[in-house]
Amino acid sequence: MSARSTFAVWAGKFTTKVLKLTGSGGTTLPGKVVLKLCPDILKHLAKDMKVICVTGTNGKTTTCHVIRDMIEAGGNTVFCNDAGANMLGGVVSAFVAAAGMNGKVDKDYALLECDEAALRYIVEHFGELDVTAVVTNVFRDQLDRYGEVLTTVNKIRAGLEQLPNVKLILNADCSLTSSLQDLPHKEIYYFGVNAPLYEGTSKDISDAVYCIHCKTKYKYDYHTFGHLGGFYCEKCGYKRHDADVALSKVLEWKDGSEVVEMNVFGENVKAEVMLPGGYNLYNALAATTVAHTIGLNTEQIVSVLGGLSTHFGRMEEVMLDDAKLHLVLVKNPAGFNEVVQFLIQQRPTGNIVFGLNDNFADGKDISWIYDVEFERLTEAAAGADNFFFTGKRAYDMQLRLKLADFDTEKFHVEKDYKTLITMLKQQGKETFLVLSYTCMLEFRDKLAEFVPLQKYAKE
Amino acid sequence: MADKLIHICHLYYDILNLYGDNGNIRTLEKRLSMRGIDTKVSRVTFGPVPEDNDYDIIFIGGGQDFEQEILVKDLFEYKADWLKAEIEKGTVILAICGGYQMLGKYYEAADGTKVDFLGGINVYTTANDKRMIGNFIYEYTTDDGETFPIVGFENHNGQTWLGDGVRPMGTIVKGFGNNGEDKTEGARYKNVFATYSHGPLLPKNARIADELLSIAYERKYGEGLSPLEHEMEDAALIDIAHQLGYNNI
Repeated sequence: MSARSTFAVWAGKFTTKVLKLTGSGGTTLPGKVVLKLCPDILKHLAKDMKVICVTGTNGKTTTCHVIRDMIEAGGNTVFCNDAGANMLGGVVSAFVAAAGMNGKVDKDYALLECDEAALRYIVEHFGELDVTAVVTNVFRDQLDRYGEVLTTVNKIRAGLEQLPNVKLILNADCSLTSSLQDLPHKEIYYFGVNAPLYEGTSKDISDAVYCIHCKTKYKYDYHTFGHLGGFYCEKCGYKRHDADVALSKVLEWKDGSEVVEMNVFGENVKAEVMLPGGYNLYNALAATTVAHTIGLNTEQIVSVLGGLSTHFGRMEEVMLDDAKLHLVLVKNPAGFNEVVQFLIQQRPTGNIVFGLNDNFADGKDISWIYDVEFERLTEAAAGADNFFFTGKRAYDMQLRLKLADFDTEKFHVEKDYKTLITMLKQQGKETFLVLSYTCMLEFRDKLAEFVPLQKYAKE
Repeated sequence: MADKLIHICHLYYDILNLYGDNGNIRTLEKRLSMRGIDTKVSRVTFGPVPEDNDYDIIFIGGGQDFEQEILVKDLFEYKADWLKAEIEKGTVILAICGGYQMLGKYYEAADGTKVDFLGGINVYTTANDKRMIGNFIYEYTTDDGETFPIVGFENHNGQTWLGDGVRPMGTIVKGFGNNGEDKTEGARYKNVFATYSHGPLLPKNARIADELLSIAYERKYGEGLSPLEHEMEDAALIDIAHQLGYNNI
């Protein structure tokens, strides 16, 4: 550590203290202060650590959770930023909070969830460090924020270009992510799924229809979900790369886990992945690839996958007296379609609550709810007693389900969270709550007045 | 009784589908089926126009810039003559955002280069360095002189300018509209309805959905469309209009 960076860390810690004393909950201000004093602070803080950056549209937080367990299973210590702090200021603040008064973070690994647009700023000074970068996938997300999906790919690319020596770990099934293979990086590993995940997913809902190189329509040997799958371009030959970590088959779908067959760098293994829903399998595969590259053997990997806590993977269960609440976060069409798939498997009988806000972090534009295939859920949800709608755009959500032919007799709009929670509590029924990001935060704040809750992980 | 049928063409369904455009088709289908009228949706992509092309409504959505090049190529190779003829003969056409621009004469980039578009309606679009984005409201006036608000979301760089023979869809109350300067939004020409209100325009603007359906139905069957309630639709419309500070509803 240089004297300057140590001083910057102190200043950051001081700012954090002041914020705490004054009761302001801001998490990014300390980072801003530190960056002002020492713009390349992250280089100093991460100098003696191995760095793993995880970026991509969906699954960052869950992938980070699994990687963290993998690192610890290998007998190493790890520092992570919280999910809500994945922009530059947040990452710096998290580092500063974890650093001792000598200005150092005394851990083996720094595991950093990075917002796609913020990646290039976070890694700007990481050029000389030992870095692994994982790109989970690229989907259409909060269009009004990032523009088109290609913009997202280019932002990630701009980050990776600054790190020509890093190990890259890419989603083989995502034609957008896997297009990053033309970067000059020597070590690139792929994870993917070698067969369709389940029947009935629409092949029309795609964020990448035309070849990123020659603009010819992709063909597919199989789809897993969204635009993910065995894509190939007949014209220019761009196609899915063979995966180093490949899921070959889901042997059994269980409530909250899946038993799978996979190949890990040439070795066939059977594993139970303790995460609910098919989309989480990709997160498990990404983490497995990282685990292999940091030296875990397959036995250790299988053991970690089988021991994951079910708090991961966007699902959170809360008992509100007799009412079992399942809180599920939705951020974009691809993620929401996976939740639809999950709900189809659940065949809910109690209540389903849909909550939609249109704040910045949710996406100001709510048109994405029309890219969610609620029509597939209509029949499976017919046994539910009530559909509640909440959040700033509750009425738009209600209308969306009317158009999907849900039974409007069961519709109730309730924008007041307290009233809604009281009602759910009195009814005592199992309830699935599917909420957009800020709606989730607001709802949980209110719910915490009724029952103790754990600190929130964003996914 | 369902022997009446409205045939909808979802043009470039797999390219111009950026913003939940399926919501518009679904609304048309739903409001027809609630009246006991069948809907046939033909999804048309690159290549020749299908032979079975007696469309009553043509819907064109918005897309990404990435695909514009291949789109324009196909437009001139296969669709231009047909689409112009459909416009002139009065087929109901709903075009949104990129689809709207594409019906116009051309797009002029910041450096002055022009990309020729269909030239089906007398409007053109120029590049703008400012992105016009956000919830917006405009007031639409029917042929009978009745005015009602349309609420949607706009997200565009291009500024569109109306020429002779084309009138706006409405007058901007909140937001930018065609160009952020002259308070106009969208374009009306014959039975073309073009707007920047992207993606699911029709679900909560049920009256404009019924306007399109009425014209299409009357052209085909020579009789009016039966009225249909739109309570839940209005609830969504009014709720967001009020959130945006528009209380004239």
